[in-house]
Amino acid sequence: MKRVVPILAALFIFISADAQRYMTRTGYIGFYSHAPVEDIRADNNQVASILDTGTGEIVFQVLIRSFKFEKALMEEHFNENYLESDKFPRSHFTGKFKDPVDMSKPGKYEVTVEGELTLHNVKKQISVPGIIEVENGAVKASSKFNIAPEDYNITIPAIVRDNIAKIIEVTVKMNYTSSEDK
Amino acid sequence: MKTPAKIALYGISILFLAGIAAAIYLYTKPQKDLQNTRATHFVTAEELQKEFSSDEKDASEKYLNKVIEVTGTLTNADISEGKAISIVLATQNDMSSVICNFRKPENPEKLRKDEKITIRGELSGFLMDVLLNNCIIVDNIRQE
Repeated sequence: MKRVVPILAALFIFISADAQRYMTRTGYIGFYSHAPVEDIRADNNQVASILDTGTGEIVFQVLIRSFKFEKALMEEHFNENYLESDKFPRSHFTGKFKDPVDMSKPGKYEVTVEGELTLHNVKKQISVPGIIEVENGAVKASSKFNIAPEDYNITIPAIVRDNIAKIIEVTVKMNYTSSEDK
Repeated sequence: MKTPAKIALYGISILFLAGIAAAIYLYTKPQKDLQNTRATHFVTAEELQKEFSSDEKDASEKYLNKVIEVTGTLTNADISEGKAISIVLATQNDMSSVICNFRKPENPEKLRKDEKITIRGELSGFLMDVLLNNCIIVDNIRQE
């Protein structure tokens, strides 16, 4: 099994060791599929992420099995048939803010993040909009963007084609704390 | 219609409806409530984290997708809208803990910081911490 955990560990070493590094282990990523037959939602509240407000680098690590669905059967299909999470247990994103943003002052900052998303063992360059909120030593990041399952070789069988949308809406909500706190 | 044919017709209709009912039940079945499920492993948060950090492959084979019970010291809870959605159990490693996300958000009154708690949940995997989901609090805390 490919060890992806070292990416986060390595970033700990290489990112400058000052109060510009923020992290979370309980970040939220959810997705929403709107289709004729039904709407599907899944929530993952165990996303690990590191944000360096100095360099504008951001990393996400996501365990596929941590996506929780309301219906058990849907979750089973998601893991076994679509994402094949036994073969590919994780998804990750490594990116950077397109334009440097000075986040030393409290406030809301609109950013564009460019980077590589690895999902279902497929790597793809994506560019997504986001909002960074800085206040009192805490940083929040949020984003909403779309992805197409077929871009990541996720095949939906014809029989359930009307149950799952071609474009999935992804929502990201992170509450970071300075990595000096624990 | 002759009586045997009528009986056959009713019989088939009932089977058909039963089949549909079964399909609907399966399709809409929510996440398993682990209240009545027996765990396959009983460990401490320390032991569990050590197993994953020393050999992730072996630990994954042993625990992945299994229902396990973990006992540990509660160091943190993630509260959202007045309810706890997850808790963190301490290990000997400051950088790596055991995180348990509850099946249904729990009443924070049940949670006492720095006290031992036993959780039953499904082991989803490992990122920087060992991650459990669909968790419930086990009322009788195991003493080590």
